[in-house]
Amino acid sequence: MDGITYPVLLDKDHVVTELYAISNVPTVILIDGDDTIVQPNWNAYATDTFKEFTGIESSNQLDAIRRWVIDGDVMMDAEAARTAVGDLSADEEAARLHFRLANHLRTNGDEVGSERHFDRACGLAPHDWTIRRASMPLRGGDPFGAEFFELYEEFNAAGRPYHGVITERP
Amino acid sequence: MGKGYGPGMDAADIALLETAPLVDIDALPDLLGWTLKPEGLCRDDTCVIVPNRSSIERDGKVDLAAVAGLLDRPVVVDETAQLVAIGASREQRRSAVNDLRAPDFQLPDLDGTWHALSDHRSKKRLLVAFSSW
Repeated sequence: MDGITYPVLLDKDHVVTELYAISNVPTVILIDGDDTIVQPNWNAYATDTFKEFTGIESSNQLDAIRRWVIDGDVMMDAEAARTAVGDLSADEEAARLHFRLANHLRTNGDEVGSERHFDRACGLAPHDWTIRRASMPLRGGDPFGAEFFELYEEFNAAGRPYHGVITERP
Repeated sequence: MGKGYGPGMDAADIALLETAPLVDIDALPDLLGWTLKPEGLCRDDTCVIVPNRSSIERDGKVDLAAVAGLLDRPVVVDETAQLVAIGASREQRRSAVNDLRAPDFQLPDLDGTWHALSDHRSKKRLLVAFSSW
């Protein structure tokens, strides 16, 4: 976006996916000046690069964001927003901890220990992209290869679970 | 290792501790930000009642996994590697998911400079979680 600067931050231990119950990316969250979440976890895109996969038109979403910034117009009322994101299950929580342990062990050269925790993480949260797909490159796999398509099929078969809102504003 | 994730966050938020799960009671404040006192587990002005002292404490040692359980935080222990991973309290996440209060966090940019969500308080903020894989 021309003329707009913003920090880009690295979250190698997936702190934010735990704190906000995020299970896939991109996930967009709109936060008011008083720390109120006015739009919780939302599968929104800045471009149409993935439109073929998602069927989502980015221009509608950008318009909705613009209306919030300029007019304070929000997409959901507070009641709807409060129930829009399912909390993480105990397995999904544990998967995040195993992912962190795997990362730590990998960084410290313990490949066997790392693999054990990646296996556990992926077993506990098999449809969580922040766990399973994120683990692929860290384990020497290809996040765009056969493993990706295998995950994509399993994800579809499971009903495309997502902690949040997948909508376009009409 | 650094206990927390960023200069303003400590292990009271999210922790990955390089230790066996049984630690000296005296080490607890430094490891996890909580102190075991007669009135309970305490941090700043907050104390959590410990209903059954023997469930977390034995012979001057405390069990970090049991402490995490009392604080309603998920925990995974790797006995072999001597690591204890403790997540954020479930109450904190529910404050985001159900009460729509955005939890603060700190993360570094590519240059290693730390940024907090709260650095931009009083402004509208667009938080985008993405990955290039």
